[in-house]
Amino acid sequence: MSIFTILPLKTLIIILSGTCLAGVVCSLIGTFIVRMKLTSLGFCMSHAAFAGSALGLALGLPPLWIALAFSILVAFILGPLTDQSRLQPEIILGILFSLTMALGLTFLNFIPDSAMSTTAMSILWGSILGISYLDILRLAILTFSIIILVTLFFKEFHAIMFDRKMAEASGIPTKPFYYLILFLTGITVAVSLKLVGGLLIFALIVNPASAAYQFFYDFKKILLFSPLFGILFSLTGLLLSFFLDFPVGSSIAIVSSVGFGIAVVLSPKKRKG
Amino acid sequence: MKHLNIIETYKANTVYEGEKIPALFDITFSINQGDFVCIIGPNGAGKTTLLETLNGLLPHTSGQIIIMGYDIQKNGVYLRKQIGYVPQEFTVDPLSPFLVKDIVLMGRYGRVGLLKKISQKDYNLLEESLRFMGIEDLKCRPIGKLSGGQLQKVMLARVLAKQPVLLLLDEPFSNLDFRTTHQAIKLFSRAHDEKGWTTLMVMHDLNMIPERCNRIIHLEEGRITKDGSPDQVLTEELLTIGTREG
Repeated sequence: MSIFTILPLKTLIIILSGTCLAGVVCSLIGTFIVRMKLTSLGFCMSHAAFAGSALGLALGLPPLWIALAFSILVAFILGPLTDQSRLQPEIILGILFSLTMALGLTFLNFIPDSAMSTTAMSILWGSILGISYLDILRLAILTFSIIILVTLFFKEFHAIMFDRKMAEASGIPTKPFYYLILFLTGITVAVSLKLVGGLLIFALIVNPASAAYQFFYDFKKILLFSPLFGILFSLTGLLLSFFLDFPVGSSIAIVSSVGFGIAVVLSPKKRKG
Repeated sequence: MKHLNIIETYKANTVYEGEKIPALFDITFSINQGDFVCIIGPNGAGKTTLLETLNGLLPHTSGQIIIMGYDIQKNGVYLRKQIGYVPQEFTVDPLSPFLVKDIVLMGRYGRVGLLKKISQKDYNLLEESLRFMGIEDLKCRPIGKLSGGQLQKVMLARVLAKQPVLLLLDEPFSNLDFRTTHQAIKLFSRAHDEKGWTTLMVMHDLNMIPERCNRIIHLEEGRITKDGSPDQVLTEELLTIGTREG
């Protein structure tokens, strides 16, 4: 019996919409993260979200909101800390990653009920079947907001993605836009966690964007194709998980990695000239 | 708004973080509108630091720098919209996802301003700048695929498209061949007069100082050691050292 006959149509629509929206929002933000060479950011924020949800459960507070607060906190810390320490953001991310992981495991010990510990762990693995209308609404609002922001401030993002110092030299205040990208990444990770899971959301942020970078020299085309690849990879991953009974997050990660591999093989950028 | 003195600095010092010795020390000078000034000096004299301090990319640690009547420290973003800057030896990643036309048009972004659309005027300036530098054929080429000389021309076209009031050029012709350098100097000297720019140009090769240049500032170990007309500054001794170094 196929999953399409087991699940009610409404649930199926919610799952498919959630998958598409997560594919769009993660890969759209991934376009910036890959260009800024901040690929560890997704990894770090998802562990921050894990720590937040563990703390929420330990204190009897809503885990998703505390997860969101922790991810955003990482975004707020990263920019100023990188600027202050004059170190590469990847180094700061390495430090924050170990800190958030350690905090997550520590908070896990304070959760009284072991069943609740499983809830915290599910933040790391994701649970597509548990997705609700409210989750879809959050994802839709976030996706729409990011598209609007990118459209409104395209000039500024475009210049910063080429070279932050040259953008500053041409009279663009780069700091708020740089921090905005980090902030939006924090929200994207936290809101998409339920679907893909913290450990694998990284794949949905990095892989579709990296695949799009294989095909084009025009940043506008990358911004357009990265979300399209995001939808393609996440829907294919979802179908694979339905038919082969794989965890959804793992399926999306596998499909998007294969997709990236195919993009590398087909990339016109490999040709000389 | 016209400012007779486009640049006024008073006892400006710039110290890099973690350093004790200032990279620029006690810099005091003023530059009038329309001046074409060349900054010369040996390697590590502080020429690049001076340009980056003047446009506020590098904060000065003491003293005062007033550009077009405004303090650069407090009005950096506003002023940089009107300052054209070409950095020394700019490099890009070969797979950089930007086309030449994007990079040149980016020169306009600051001037266009937040939440405002790129207009037909901006596209016309893009075309005009590409034509001026003779690189119309590179318009749709990926930026990472260009040679050092072509990239330098793109960066010059970018600054032209900006239509700046003040132009800061850091060894802008270092990657161009002899003939192209001469052509570029001629073009920039002409544009300087036609567009009413004030130009500060860092030059390493003293033989290439443009005829249009009416003032030379010589820096050594972060201090101004000579400041005057080319005839006053370019002594035989300096030219001999300059030729040997260049």
